[in-house]
Amino acid sequence: MFKFAPYLLKTLWRHRGRTMLTVSGSAVALFVFCFVGSVQEGMDRLTSQSDSTLIVFQANKFCPATSHLPQDYDQIIGKMPGVQEVVPIQVFTNNCRASLDVVVFYGVPAEKIQKIRDFDLIEGSWDEFESNQDAGIVGESVARRRNLKLGTKFSVGEVKVTVAGIFNSSDRSEEDYVYTHLDFLQRTPGMNLVGTVTQHEVVLDDSADAVKTSSLIDDEFRAGPVETDTRTKGVFQASSLADLVELIELSHYLGYACIGLMTMLISTTTFMAVQDRIKEHSVLQTLGFSDSIVFALVLAESVLISVGGGVVGTGVAMLTLAGSGLSVGAEAVTIAFSPSVGLALTGLVGSLAVGIAAGVLPAVAAARADIINGLRQA
Amino acid sequence: MLIEIRNLTKSFQKGDETITPLRDVSLDIDEGEFVSLMGPSGTGKSTLLNQIAGIDKPTSGTIAVNETEITTISRSRLAKWRAANVGYIFQTHNLIPVLTAYENVELPLLLLPFNRAERQRRVQIALEAVELLDRANHYPRQLSGGQEQRVGIARAIVTDPKVVVADEPTGDLDSATSSHILDLLKRLNSELGTTLLMVTHDADAAATAGRQLRLDDGRLIDESRQKDELSLAVPEGNAHV
Repeated sequence: MFKFAPYLLKTLWRHRGRTMLTVSGSAVALFVFCFVGSVQEGMDRLTSQSDSTLIVFQANKFCPATSHLPQDYDQIIGKMPGVQEVVPIQVFTNNCRASLDVVVFYGVPAEKIQKIRDFDLIEGSWDEFESNQDAGIVGESVARRRNLKLGTKFSVGEVKVTVAGIFNSSDRSEEDYVYTHLDFLQRTPGMNLVGTVTQHEVVLDDSADAVKTSSLIDDEFRAGPVETDTRTKGVFQASSLADLVELIELSHYLGYACIGLMTMLISTTTFMAVQDRIKEHSVLQTLGFSDSIVFALVLAESVLISVGGGVVGTGVAMLTLAGSGLSVGAEAVTIAFSPSVGLALTGLVGSLAVGIAAGVLPAVAAARADIINGLRQA
Repeated sequence: MLIEIRNLTKSFQKGDETITPLRDVSLDIDEGEFVSLMGPSGTGKSTLLNQIAGIDKPTSGTIAVNETEITTISRSRLAKWRAANVGYIFQTHNLIPVLTAYENVELPLLLLPFNRAERQRRVQIALEAVELLDRANHYPRQLSGGQEQRVGIARAIVTDPKVVVADEPTGDLDSATSSHILDLLKRLNSELGTTLLMVTHDADAAATAGRQLRLDDGRLIDESRQKDELSLAVPEGNAHV
C-alpha cells in the first residue's frame, strides 16, 4: 500500500477544506473522549486503592468539617494487631460540595508525612517545612492552578500558609492537596480543634485483614466518647464522591456518543469522497486496480482522517490535562484529571477503529461499483 | 491469433426494452495489427471495446486474448489480467488530476512486480515515446488537451501490454492535435509492434488503421476485406470477420 501513498495523500489534500474540517471534528470528539476518560480513570484510581490503608471517620458524618474524633484514638488503634502506623489528620476544605476548585488542607504530624506519602519535593525543603509551624507543602497541581511559588503566603478562609515546598506524587490526586502541620491546622482561629482530628489514617501490615481490623476499630469505640466508621481508603473515597459517581458514569456515555458522532462524520466524508470520484475509481479499475485495492485505498483514506483527528485530539487532550492541573472534588476528596499512557493509547486505537468502521461501507461501495457506469459519469 | 471473439452477444435491459448492441459477433485480430472500429452512435463500438478490455462481460459468446478466455474468469483475476495485458486510452484521457504526468503513467506499473528503478525506466521510455519527458512533473491542469491525451497514451503503453484499446482517442481534440495523436498511435503500432484496436466515428481517423471494421445494427463488417473482395469481385457475408 505504501506505493499508493502519493495518490492517497494527494487525494486527501485535493479536498483539503473538507479533510481539515473532518480531522478537526474528529479531534474535538477525541478530545472530549479523552477528557471524559481521564475523569473516569481518576475516579477508578481513587476507588480502587489497596486495602492496606484504612480511614477512621466519625460515624454518621460525611463532611470533614463535621467529623471530630479524639486525637488520642491513635494510641489505642496503634496497639491493635496488624496496624503498622496510625496518622491523625485534620482536614480543612474551602468547599464540602462538588466543585472544580476545591482547596484541601491536610494537617498531619510533620514527621509522619514522608512515612505515609510518596512525595517528591520539586521545590523547597523538608527542613524548611518541619521547622516552621505555618509552613505548608503544596501539591504541584494546586500550585499551578493557584499560581503559588516557593515562599508565597496564601490564605483560604482563616487558614494562612507559607509555601515551604512544592511536591509531586505518584498518586496524582495527592497533588491537589496542601499539607500543613497538624497543630497549626487545629489552632486555626475560630475552629478550636485542639485535641480532635477529622480522621485517622491507619496503615496495615501485610498480615492484617482490612475488614476485620475495621470491625475491631469500630467495636472498640462503639461505647467510646465518639463512635467511628472505619473503611478502606478506596471505599471511603468512593463514599465521599458518591454524589459525583453517577454524574461521571453518565459522562462516560458522552464519551461514547462522541465516538459515535466521529464515526458518522468520517463515514459521511468518505462517502462524499467516493461519490465525487466514481469515475476516477472506474478509471483505476480499468487500469487493473482490483476491487480489494480500491477497497483498501478508500479505507486508508478514512483511517488517515480518523487517526489524524485522533492524534491531534488525543495530543491536545493530553497536553491540556497535563498542563491545567484540573480536578473536581467533593467532601475533601479530589478526582484529578490527569493524562496517562493508557488513555492516550485508548484514544489512538479508538481512532483507528473508528477509521476502519467508518470506511468499510464507502469502501465496499467504491470497490463493487460497476466500471462501465462509473466511466459514463460526467 | 491474439484476439479471438466467437459469437459474442451483449444485451441489457433499459426499462421494458431489451437492447442488444452486439449480436453474434465473431472477430479475429492478429498480434501487431492496428484495427479501427467505426459505426454510428449507439451501435456497440465501445461495448465491444470494453468486452475485449475485460471491463464488461458479454451475455454470451467467448473472448480469448493471448489464449486466455476472459469471459469466465473472476472479477479479481480479471483486474490482474487487465493490469498486465491491456492498455486503455480514453476519449477524455481520464488522468488522475492530483497526480503529475509521471505519477499518472506510473500508476499501472504499481500493480505489477517492478521495483522503483524499473518503474522509473519504463515511465521515462513511455513519456519519451509520446515526447513529453520534459513535462513529467506537470499536473494535468498544466497540460493542453493534446498533451493530456499523450500522457494517457503513455499510461496505456507503459506496461507493454498485449493489446491497447482506444475509445475515440481523438474525439475531444481539434483536427491538428487529432492528426498528431493518430500519427503517434500509428508509430507505436509500426515501431513497437503494439496491437491496437481503436474505436472512432471519424472516417479519416479510421483510415489510419491497417484494418477497418464497421459495426452496424450489432453486426460487424470488415470494410478492408470488403474493399479487397470488391476489387476481386467475390461477395462474402459478414458474420465472421
